[in-house]
Amino acid sequence: MTEFLESVLRGLGTGSVYALLALGFVIIYKATRVISFAQPAFMLAGAVLVTYLVGPVGFWLAVLIAALLTAGLALGVERVAVRPMVGRPAFVVAIITLGVDVAVRVVVNGFIGLDVRHVGDPWGLRTVAIPGTGIDLQQRHLGAFLTTAVLIAALFAFFRFTRMGLAMRAAAYDQEAALAQGVSVGAVFALAWGLAGGLAAVAGTFAAAGASVDAGLWLIALTALPVIILGGLDSLPGAVVGGLAVGTIQELAASYQQHAPWLGGNVSVITPYVLMLLVLLVRPYGLFGTREVERV
Amino acid sequence: MGRHRSSISDVRRIGSGTLALLLCGALVACRGGDAETDASGLKTDVGVTSEPCPEAVDKNKGCIYLGIISDLTEGPFRALAVPITDAQKAFWKRVNTAGGIGDHEVDVTRYIRDNKYNPQTHNQVYQEIKPNVLALAQTLGSPTTAAILADMKASNVVAAPAAWTSAYAFEDVIVESGANYCLESMNALDYAREAYGVKSVLAVHLAGDYGDDAAAGAKLAAQSLGLTFNAVKTDSGADKQAGAIGAILSGRPDLVILTMGPADAAAIVGQAAARGFTGRFIGTSPTWNPALLQSAAAPALLARYEQTAPWDSWGTDTPGHQALRAALGGVTPNEGYTSGWVWSYPMKAALTKAVAGGDLTRAGLVAAVKSLTSVDYEGMLPAGAGNYAAGPNEGAVRVTAVYRPDRAAPTGTKQVRPLFTGPTAKAYTLDGPCYAKL
Repeated sequence: MTEFLESVLRGLGTGSVYALLALGFVIIYKATRVISFAQPAFMLAGAVLVTYLVGPVGFWLAVLIAALLTAGLALGVERVAVRPMVGRPAFVVAIITLGVDVAVRVVVNGFIGLDVRHVGDPWGLRTVAIPGTGIDLQQRHLGAFLTTAVLIAALFAFFRFTRMGLAMRAAAYDQEAALAQGVSVGAVFALAWGLAGGLAAVAGTFAAAGASVDAGLWLIALTALPVIILGGLDSLPGAVVGGLAVGTIQELAASYQQHAPWLGGNVSVITPYVLMLLVLLVRPYGLFGTREVERV
Repeated sequence: MGRHRSSISDVRRIGSGTLALLLCGALVACRGGDAETDASGLKTDVGVTSEPCPEAVDKNKGCIYLGIISDLTEGPFRALAVPITDAQKAFWKRVNTAGGIGDHEVDVTRYIRDNKYNPQTHNQVYQEIKPNVLALAQTLGSPTTAAILADMKASNVVAAPAAWTSAYAFEDVIVESGANYCLESMNALDYAREAYGVKSVLAVHLAGDYGDDAAAGAKLAAQSLGLTFNAVKTDSGADKQAGAIGAILSGRPDLVILTMGPADAAAIVGQAAARGFTGRFIGTSPTWNPALLQSAAAPALLARYEQTAPWDSWGTDTPGHQALRAALGGVTPNEGYTSGWVWSYPMKAALTKAVAGGDLTRAGLVAAVKSLTSVDYEGMLPAGAGNYAAGPNEGAVRVTAVYRPDRAAPTGTKQVRPLFTGPTAKAYTLDGPCYAKL
């Protein structure tokens, strides 16, 4: 039982990173109806920025500055590469974001250099014991989970209680109607990209906490794709639940895979995709996605 | 009608143009394919010119072009590959400064390509440079080199590999150096049994003939020594090690043999130790990167990890190591430099022998390799190393050194066991690639 609970807690830590990444994908999708494949590059850029900033300013301030700078980078990409494509098919814009992803990663890889880099998080691989349970929890997983919880609460408050949040929800529901009501849809697009960039930077930092930053870190962001399909492409709660579910299932699969050796040595790598397929079989729009109705 | 005639003539023009292009292409593809004999009686074909090298020391000498295909930008071994390549440039510069190979100098700078540690890319760039090079001064990676090996054999392209799979002992076109992963793992088990009394072993390895070869060596040694053995395959990527860590924690072996990249190894050692694993780890040489001593896994690496190596490290005092340090000046020490330097000696010996035999064609170079009975490694490997004429088993180098992480050492590791051949590796008959026995 202890092993099971420890696996679940590790999974929630890993899943928090997936949830932050998935939120970025969903925010951009809801605002612009485009899946941005540039999120992996923003994630890598944010983590690399932290590795440079952590020495001079400390970990938390480094994360904040890196998130702001990455949000700025995302805003720039939106203004230069995506905004001129408004009105074009979403597929075309998605392909442009793929190009942006490759270009940004090539530049960022130059700043990684030959050796691995470190985000200098305060936790390393230390654990904390939960009193009376015999359960050891890695501090970095606790840090990731709590930080994600705070960010999600802030995001939901922003969407619920602020004018800009309301404008973003309106634009997500019907862009033309929102425009007619005086909502600046351009500002909504820009803010969506900025938020997604900032979230990706925080996710990248926590993905590298206790480990290291190398050019392959961006691959973690690809796990967010089954997460958003699983949770529902246009659902913020779906992104959070999907991320946590995928992280947990992955860790459980890794912990118990020795009971099914016929599945191979590293079955946890494919569990997000298996889970996604299983959910899509019964809920084609994901767990929380909006069912589309088309008249023919 | 006029338009029709014009259209026919256009078609003919396009057709004849296409034919001309194809003929040109065929001619280019065959360029250098015919052997020539120069005034000194030296027979040459591809990749050898009478014109000087681009960065020639002596403009009166011709040029031998060697290609380099390495993991230079985004693959998992780039931290080793870049210094390997720099060391090879320095090695051949030293050879050229010392008079070159006969009436030729050697260029390894014009045809350098990045494989991104991807077999398809490796094959693509190999095909690009193949018409212009005599041989390959470096082909990095076991799975990547496997993608071009058949073509190399068909075209008589000799290569110095930046890898140690046991299959190379059976290939005439490969001039390998040092103990292969299989024999290295056997020595690792002999060492661990003697030093720590281990009774159970788990090999965590990448798929393919890098990881499989080391795991097979560990399996064969475990069988010979009566140890319990298990193996688990993993994937490249620090985030993909949860399965391997789970296998280590559930099996609780005394020793884990690691064959993967440095970030993967650090993730496994660090997280397994954080979750209470108290066994030992030994990684093959590509698992180490000095930057890991700055990572969160550093305490676990310092306490539980050791690394095997096929030759002595950067700071050793052999003539070869001294020449390496002198040639590279004030670079930050890195074992990639040492490896790149060592791997170049047999190519130099083969080229020298081919020139001495008057046949510097590709086929002549293969014949020279097959007749090499020793290579002068300037003390970096024991005397007798480089005996390609003796065949796979008799010619195999079987020595391994063991290192442990040490913050004070120039490359982050300190020797704990000098080059040795364990009883298991010594008794093993290399009768085929080890990975086939996993």
